[in-house]
Amino acid sequence: MTFRVLDPTPEKAPPAGQLAPRLATLEGKTIGFISNGKEGTKGFFAHLDRVLREEHGVAKVVMRTKSNYSAPADAHIVAEIRNWDAVISGIGD
Amino acid sequence: MQLSSRTYDADNIAAVQELYHSNGWTDGLPIVPPTADAVQACLDWAMMPPDQLIGIEPVRGLSLTAEKLAINAVMAGCLPMHFPVVLTAWTAMMQDDFLMHGATASTGGCAVLVVLNGPIRLELGASGGFNALGNSDRATAVIGRAIRLCLINLMDVRPGAIDRSTLGHPGKFSYCVAEDEEDTTWLSLAEQRGIPKEASAVTVMAAGAPRQIMNEWTTKPEEILETFAAEMRANLRHYSIHPGNYALIIPKQLREHLQAAKWSKTDIANFIHDRARIHRREWAEVGKGAVVRDRGDSVYSAMESPDQLLVVAAGGPAGGFGAIIPPWLGNKSHAVTMAIGACVDCEPPKK
Repeated sequence: MTFRVLDPTPEKAPPAGQLAPRLATLEGKTIGFISNGKEGTKGFFAHLDRVLREEHGVAKVVMRTKSNYSAPADAHIVAEIRNWDAVISGIGD
Repeated sequence: MQLSSRTYDADNIAAVQELYHSNGWTDGLPIVPPTADAVQACLDWAMMPPDQLIGIEPVRGLSLTAEKLAINAVMAGCLPMHFPVVLTAWTAMMQDDFLMHGATASTGGCAVLVVLNGPIRLELGASGGFNALGNSDRATAVIGRAIRLCLINLMDVRPGAIDRSTLGHPGKFSYCVAEDEEDTTWLSLAEQRGIPKEASAVTVMAAGAPRQIMNEWTTKPEEILETFAAEMRANLRHYSIHPGNYALIIPKQLREHLQAAKWSKTDIANFIHDRARIHRREWAEVGKGAVVRDRGDSVYSAMESPDQLLVVAAGGPAGGFGAIIPPWLGNKSHAVTMAIGACVDCEPPKK
């Protein structure tokens, strides 16, 4: 007996986000960190902050932490992104 | 309206199973082949066109249609009569309060507990009796499984993909319980949460595994409930101090003592709220001294208020057992209750 069966997945991809233009250099740039606030983020972002400033000439690092580590970033953090040249969003498990 | 999903031809039932397993479309167990006829029967029962939009997942913008839910429900073993429950549970899960992405992606590894209330339990043969939290009956088994298969296939909640659970628990195969409304004098969970008695309803909760308790050596409500509260305190000590929805599953033997003493669900919730709390310093007793800091005297209650307790009458007739079901992670996700088929003037879609 043959079966004709249906695909259980969405098939249609969700609306794709577009990558922002890549930076030619990190020199003198402002980099934002969006942390989920978990314990493991502290060491990771502190290290990354130092590497970006000392080895890549980043001018400023802005650290922001989500109020709920399981939910999307708070609106006021998202609104701040326009002031940054690049964003690193990280989780800390 | 025609179904729009891509179709696959398979030579026999074994080939169907391998097709679905090899594509990562199952929970590891065999599935029922989702043929167009079976899927259409579910949609007809719910009086929904295939492209009916049930919701859009807020984090990744994934749209959820009735057709795709029905395919997964059939795969889980659902009959058409089970499908409205799956639809309603999913509608509830899509509410912001439930925080579906967080609850299903988290390392915390919770499952979606589904509680059924109202007349539909009897129509479906959903049992809140023997083995209520296990394989008690067909309806709760397949409805709970449909929730998981939809998560896997529609939201990519696969282990290692969106599902980052460290451990998970067996409820992630199926986690559905019907309340035993016939053998109790209490209001049902849905009535407690504002749904009229005549309506059927679904409550969803991002839930950890059940923690079973036993106390068959007393008939006093305070002593019975102290055992439940102690298990909640254990959860506060060993897992998380975040307050939120807890479920209390109370089978008949213990329930009868409480009811004989005229304790209502509200009385129970008030007592539990008062007793299920710990001092932060207790964490030092269970190896978590590092996070006590200078806040040892702070008191943490399991719930923010008594109405966060979901008291459910369910379980076999004998045995001084009960269970608490802890939240995934406190108030990050809230339980949502929704009536099934609440639209009172809907008409079947025109074909």
